Amino acid sequence: MADLTVKDVALRLGDNEILKGVSVAVPAGEVVALLGPSGSGKTTLLRAIAGLETPHSGSIAIGDRVFFDAAHEVELPAEERGLGLVFQSYALWPHRTVFDNVAYGLKLRGVSAAEIKTRVEKTLSQIGLGHLGARYPHQLSGGQQQRVAIARALVYEPPVILLDEPLSNLDAKLREEARAWLRTLIVTLGLSAIHVTHDQVEAMAIADRIVLLDAGVVAQEGAPTALYNEPATLFAAEFMGSNDRLDGKLVENSGGRATIELFGERLTGIARTKVASGGKATGIIRIERVRCTSNPGPNRLKMELKAPMYLGERWELVFARENLSVRAYASAPLEPGEHYVEFPPEAMWVF
Amino acid sequence: MPIVVYRLLVIGVTTLAVLAPLSLVIYQSFLTAPFFDPSAQAGFLAYSFVFADPDFWQAFWTTITIAGGMAAIAVPLGALLAFLMVRTDVPGREYLEPLILIPIFVSAVVIAFGYVVAIGPVGIFSTLAKDILGFVPWNLYSLLALIVIAGLTHVPHVYLYSAAALRGLSTDLEEAARVSGANPFRVAVNVSLPMILPAILFAGVLVFFLGFELFGLPLVLGDPQDVLVLSTYLYKLTNKLGVPSYQLMAVVVVAIIAITAPLVFMQRLLLRQAQRYVSVRGKGLKTQPLRLHGWRWFAFGAIMLWLFVTVVVPLFGITLRSFVVTWGEGVKLLDVLTLDHYRELTEYPNVIRGILNTLGIGVIGGAVAVAWYTAIALAVHRWNSGWTRLVDYLVMVPRAMPGLVAGRALLWVFLFVPFLSPLKSTMVSIWLAYTIVWLAYGMRLVSGTLLQVAPELEEAARTAGANDLRVKRDVTVPLIRYGMLASWLLIFLIFVREYSTGIYLLGPGTEVIGSLLVSLWGTGAIDLVSALSVVNVLMIGVGLAVAVRLGVRLHG
Repeated sequence: MADLTVKDVALRLGDNEILKGVSVAVPAGEVVALLGPSGSGKTTLLRAIAGLETPHSGSIAIGDRVFFDAAHEVELPAEERGLGLVFQSYALWPHRTVFDNVAYGLKLRGVSAAEIKTRVEKTLSQIGLGHLGARYPHQLSGGQQQRVAIARALVYEPPVILLDEPLSNLDAKLREEARAWLRTLIVTLGLSAIHVTHDQVEAMAIADRIVLLDAGVVAQEGAPTALYNEPATLFAAEFMGSNDRLDGKLVENSGGRATIELFGERLTGIARTKVASGGKATGIIRIERVRCTSNPGPNRLKMELKAPMYLGERWELVFARENLSVRAYASAPLEPGEHYVEFPPEAMWVF
Repeated sequence: MPIVVYRLLVIGVTTLAVLAPLSLVIYQSFLTAPFFDPSAQAGFLAYSFVFADPDFWQAFWTTITIAGGMAAIAVPLGALLAFLMVRTDVPGREYLEPLILIPIFVSAVVIAFGYVVAIGPVGIFSTLAKDILGFVPWNLYSLLALIVIAGLTHVPHVYLYSAAALRGLSTDLEEAARVSGANPFRVAVNVSLPMILPAILFAGVLVFFLGFELFGLPLVLGDPQDVLVLSTYLYKLTNKLGVPSYQLMAVVVVAIIAITAPLVFMQRLLLRQAQRYVSVRGKGLKTQPLRLHGWRWFAFGAIMLWLFVTVVVPLFGITLRSFVVTWGEGVKLLDVLTLDHYRELTEYPNVIRGILNTLGIGVIGGAVAVAWYTAIALAVHRWNSGWTRLVDYLVMVPRAMPGLVAGRALLWVFLFVPFLSPLKSTMVSIWLAYTIVWLAYGMRLVSGTLLQVAPELEEAARTAGANDLRVKRDVTVPLIRYGMLASWLLIFLIFVREYSTGIYLLGPGTEVIGSLLVSLWGTGAIDLVSALSVVNVLMIGVGLAVAVRLGVRLHG
């Protein structure tokens, strides 16, 4: 198996610049998640890799097989790339049985009927649908259809399998189960995969590495822990996790520490900006790191508790002061009234 | 075979089939004699001759009058009918829909014959009226009657487009008007119909355009008092001079196309606008019908009256006429009943051939035509290229050629191209003419079906390793099977109904019911004509019944 390399791919749909020079590498055996809000170009990038969209510059290759190279005018049609693609809508052919859906890729490759039968049956039993080969897609549940779509993309052993939001059509509970199942399957079979999603939790759960896209460029890439714990940009910090946002004035920035001022009080955090001081700055902190206390102290703001909400495993508290509103988690509800909300300096980033 | 070869082949053949007849007509119109005549020279002689003929201008203005008049009748009635059928609780809505569409599927000549035998000077209803009132309160052979009948028979066309637009409209606007105190009629006039104005406008242009295609009605109803429209003027031109004056015919054809082509183009623009208008508010899923209360049966009665005048009167007339020896004042029905006319049909070998040929062109010819339309639609399907637009316009070209004109043009192609001549007197010529004339309609049916195939079903096959043609064969075509079947049924109905396209191609071996009816009518064989008309209506009735039974949408 070889590595997939995407270099400086730029793509236009009509007048819209969807991708503005994206580079991604997928080493063999790795699962990469393409994460981003809608319109960030993640699905378009996946379709460009599959050969369903044509970029106007850049290159795409797997090992030394060039799929696309704008400079040398190389473009391999989709059918010759040999990749597996799982569609968001599954795109199962309604006029073929489950078996025939899965078998089609092998049939196109001239595999003998006997071997097709063995391989399809093996793949179907791997995904736990060995007994449903004779059914038609509409006779399956959503979760089963999704598995068939994956089997169809796996059966001819593609070097990389591309998954376009494969879980988004499942309901919430099923989605979590399918997430675990999919991760296990990919790891067991030792596949390389690119998984497109807009759900950051799903991306962190499934991928070895996350590529975060924003408006057609890579905002940040790295291991899930790195993206979550060390966001490089305001966008990355805000996109991952649930956050509180504190807009203030930058008053100090030295030695990797930055201090912002709001309501006349000073809050210090990890500096993520090079600006010396003066001007506006934003503090971002994960909600689960915010603490509620009853006394004033460093990095604390006096705020009023507006609404405690019971979420089952914990309470979510909404605090407000003038036009600032922050959220925090607590194991027990607090009394309404004034509290001191602490933003630990090692958990807050200042952009 | 690479996809490029396939596309080139299909588009090339289509271009040739569409443009050859048209070019030949234009070429012929600039000659001073028929193209096969060695003395033919280039020149404008034919144009100056035709344009100096007062009959031509007479026919031209009559055509405009009829087209405008029928639009003025059909548009308001069709729009109101759509409102009643789509938006209100008129009784029996679900059963009325196929009945309303009958005038679209029954041949216009049959309807015209029906009116002659029903309400002509000695028609069945006329004699009845005379018995009761002492006089006949209508005159079928007048320009006004012609306009009214043309208008009433084109109500379904307006209905179709208005109904489609209304189905896309959200109902709460109407409910708001109702709550504010508007009665159903006011709701229709003040709220619903203004909202679908673009669709109604389109339908208006369509009906005006169909006015120029009118042939059967003016031929049968206009003839006795020498009312000529452009199409009948063209038809009579041969008799007028006594010699085959191809160049003059070509000029008339060019004149007709010069008017219809811009109308076709205008329809295209308007249709796109109308669809945009509807798709903006596409969430018309909630359809709580507007309650008419007291108006319910009044509206039902109005629809029934229209159906009676437009469908029952002519069809009843022609059917009754086919079972009686003769009809006139003082004839008693029981004395004249007979089956002789049907027996007579079997005595004419050309009539038998005509019936068989009509079945053949409908069933086999229809299937082959749908196959061709599908081949073209597949060639441009998901093809991101400027050629797609070109093909779009290409298939519109025959729409500007009324059937009579297209038949004429194709006859010349068969005469002009040496290796095609042997095919002239076979059903191949008829099939080609029909298929070209209905190209735009057929393409709309097939493309509509193709639109419903989700692109990712095809992309999934691409990524699985299938090339373009393989994808079409393994995924696209199997997915549109039922759509193709439905298209086949509709094309069958259209081909069986068609009468004007085959007129000039009529000869031993190429008889079809439609063109036979026109030629038999010319000889005055009313007995045969009425029996053959009934046979034609029965064939269409069977096709319609099958279509309704299979749940085929009767419009593209």
